[in-house]
Amino acid sequence: MDFSETTSSQPDIREFVAVVLAGFGNELSPLSSGAGGEPSPKALLPIANQPMLDFPLAWLEQSGIKDVILICPTAHRQAISHYIHSSSSTSLRIDVHPYEETEDLSVGTCAILRHFTHLIQQDFVILPCDFVPPPSLPLSSILNKFRTESISDGCMSTACWFAPRRSEQGTIPDEWGQYEFSTPIVYDPVTGTLLHVDTPDDVDRNGDEIELRMSLLTRYPRTRLSSNLQDSHVYVCRRSVLDALAQKPTFDSIREEFMPWLCKVQYQRAKRERYGSVLTPTTNTLNQNVALRHSTTGAPNDLFSLKHHASLGEKNVAYSAPPSPTSDEDNKGADASLRVGVVIHNDSSEYAARANTLHSLLELNRSFLTKAQWTLPTDPKDRALIDPKAQISSDSIVGESTRVEERTSIKRSVIGKHCMVGKMAKIVGCVLLDHCVIEEGAKLDNCILGKNTRVGNKAALSWCITQGGYEVEAGGSYKNEKLEISDWAAGGTSSEGNDGTSEDDEEEEEGAEESGESED
Amino acid sequence: MPSAVVPLPEAAGQSSAPPGTLPAKSQKQMTKAERREMQERQRAAKAEKATQNQSKNSPKSSNKPAQTSKEGALAPRRASKAADLAPKGFQGAGGQSKDVKASGEDKSAHTRGLRIFSHFGLPKPTAHKGEVHPTIVRLGLQFSEFKITGANARCIATLTAFKTVIQDYVTPPNNTLSRHLMTYLSPQISYLVSARPMSVTMGNAIRQLKLDISGTDIDLPEQDAKDALCDKIDTYIRDRIIAADQVIEETAGNKIKDGDAILTYARSSVVEKVLLAAYADGKQFTVTVVDSRPMLEGKKLLEVLSFAGIQCTYLLLPAVGSVITEISMVLVGAHSLHSNGAVFSRAGTALVAMMAKQHLVPVVVCCETYKFSETVQLDSFTRNELAPVELFNSFPQNKQQDLSSLSDQPNLQILNPLYDLTPPSSITAVVTEVGVIPPSSISSIPLALGRTML
Repeated sequence: MDFSETTSSQPDIREFVAVVLAGFGNELSPLSSGAGGEPSPKALLPIANQPMLDFPLAWLEQSGIKDVILICPTAHRQAISHYIHSSSSTSLRIDVHPYEETEDLSVGTCAILRHFTHLIQQDFVILPCDFVPPPSLPLSSILNKFRTESISDGCMSTACWFAPRRSEQGTIPDEWGQYEFSTPIVYDPVTGTLLHVDTPDDVDRNGDEIELRMSLLTRYPRTRLSSNLQDSHVYVCRRSVLDALAQKPTFDSIREEFMPWLCKVQYQRAKRERYGSVLTPTTNTLNQNVALRHSTTGAPNDLFSLKHHASLGEKNVAYSAPPSPTSDEDNKGADASLRVGVVIHNDSSEYAARANTLHSLLELNRSFLTKAQWTLPTDPKDRALIDPKAQISSDSIVGESTRVEERTSIKRSVIGKHCMVGKMAKIVGCVLLDHCVIEEGAKLDNCILGKNTRVGNKAALSWCITQGGYEVEAGGSYKNEKLEISDWAAGGTSSEGNDGTSEDDEEEEEGAEESGESED
Repeated sequence: MPSAVVPLPEAAGQSSAPPGTLPAKSQKQMTKAERREMQERQRAAKAEKATQNQSKNSPKSSNKPAQTSKEGALAPRRASKAADLAPKGFQGAGGQSKDVKASGEDKSAHTRGLRIFSHFGLPKPTAHKGEVHPTIVRLGLQFSEFKITGANARCIATLTAFKTVIQDYVTPPNNTLSRHLMTYLSPQISYLVSARPMSVTMGNAIRQLKLDISGTDIDLPEQDAKDALCDKIDTYIRDRIIAADQVIEETAGNKIKDGDAILTYARSSVVEKVLLAAYADGKQFTVTVVDSRPMLEGKKLLEVLSFAGIQCTYLLLPAVGSVITEISMVLVGAHSLHSNGAVFSRAGTALVAMMAKQHLVPVVVCCETYKFSETVQLDSFTRNELAPVELFNSFPQNKQQDLSSLSDQPNLQILNPLYDLTPPSSITAVVTEVGVIPPSSISSIPLALGRTML
């Protein structure tokens, strides 16, 4: 028997489709601002010399999801498509869809999702391009929770929140941007239900207190309030959630507005009545209501809602409707609990992170360094480029074709491909993107240098971020600054001691002079 | 004649011998059986050692096997010597296997040390294959997470899922639906079995489905054939489960009189329906719900019944003896019915039935005919199922960490057998949709239904 024929003859049933949102990354400017007209997509910024888009894609592949819709701004489309098609073959089918968005006019994630609703016909997973999952949390565990609960409970969506690693205060300068505050959430640890997410609107309305509904506490008397968890922006949702989204045109951000609103539907009666039918359509979905009514573990859901009504009205003991065993009644959609499940990842040894701020980008790079073991490259061509008298510590990563000259010292850094590090340079704790040039005697300390940055002779940079293509002149010295090209082009004067707004004019461009090719 | 009472072995340097070793018997017999037993144990211990050596490279565990192999070598030598050393050898070997057990810290060595029920094994984690339909994947998760439990519920869930699978199925060219659909469904079924062992009801339903599939007309267009199959599935559910339940409700309801005190064990969907229907009919009775760990299904039944307005009492299984004198009838459900009249049901039912029989309380089993199994079952050890420890807390716990600390104890194994067998002698009558029959005539059910095979 030819088994290969028989299995491929069945039509592909896509259970989930993944939607990866690649935004502009305004928090990561100036790294993510284009360098000289060339866009620098946030999704392609590297973590340990791998574009950060790799991580969620690998995670998806591991979980068995095959279809991916990647949504990116129009300006980045070419770069990202090129990367995807040239990267090593994966079993994912990735569709890149551009969305009209510029850096200044940012579009909310809700609008994007509304726009692409027609592409999504089944249950879907939303992922950000910057989420780096820990190895101990496979996506299939979140998917399994969703699969189990959407049938047995009528769960609408499952989210994932994690405890971020906090660096000690004061090590990262304030000029790099505000440290991300975690939002307080209320969740039920036993059933894994997300109950309340504090939104910025709530904070505006009442900054001192968190307001919770009594109906929430009646349903879930034992909950936990936590404010040190961060949203991973990974949401597994039912298709009907998109219909509900269409009914809320004013919402802008999934994370800040839509998800907190979705959490409220499960316990607020008015919302439930209005949106309940939209959220649980009875067509095209397998519902096991008859089986669930016969199941010995689990009280029937309509029993709970009846109890709820009864307790509000008179204590009418005879107010009971025993579940009917006939199959005609399995179209009752109102039984569903409409909860939002949540998976909390609290493992401190393997932590998850979102690389959407400069702090986290640096931290992520560093966490990969702890696992790195740098040795001389095996490729003789690459090895020839690295001078034997250079001191490269074993916890750094040096990309291919990078030239390192003698008596340089590289410690705890990530250096991209095709860079050139001159003599006696000292690089400690930095992240250098591809094609950087560092001339002799330069000293770099905890910096992130964009692509094609050039640091002149004997320059000293400490805790700086440069935009791609910047040039630091010889002997320049900067501390705690974000260096952007616009200042250089405008020919502004150098001024030290400014605070970290983007007025600094020092540009150190280190073009990739040794290799003429410019890779996207 | 030297008796079997000998001082504990000092040379072996063991911990005290396992309690409950063989009582004093004739030593010659003991020696032979001992030797055989010892050899078995050593073989098992060597197998454990071999895998332990592979999995653990720590010198500690390699020392222990070396030590135990030395003792193992010593023990048979001892046994072949004078008879009064035989008990020593036995204790030595017993201690040796205990040592091996204690040194294995990983869970797999742990479960291999299961003495009872080791032949069921614990359900293995399911490997997700590409050709399994997503509905079946979800169903498997419902089963393995124990969200859908109960013979009726599982069967209905399986058949409903298969309806979706059949509708999504496309016959490949050069093939007929009646032949190819079977091969398409087989991996789905084995996926479900790997999630949780199949129940008798599921087996019967799938057998009927296979019969229907092979009986489809070849000339029928594909969509019509699929619709016909889905119709047949619906008919099966409707006739043999739902309608049967209604007949049973009536029949068993007639047995309930005003002022009765009914006892039921755990939660059966049929018994629940019977009680609710009888109450809706206006009969006045009280219900005693007996429950047991780990699943505590009785709590949900209690919720449903008391919400309906029935006066209920709730107690745990060990307390049955104190209330049985006030009970007028025991009503239980079944997982399956066997040809010798035995009822396979939730673990604990046998106790309740036997206790009731002792006190001359009639035991009525409510069971649909599709739960009938042709096999003969004499005890609950040969076929059973173990519930996973992580899902059910076997011990009452106040704090979260109690469970994990319990399952990590090297000398503690938690076993949750889910089913037990009630012998026909404890059962008064079985109520099915074809009538009320005594357990001895259960094998006549297929005849009553008018077919040779169920």
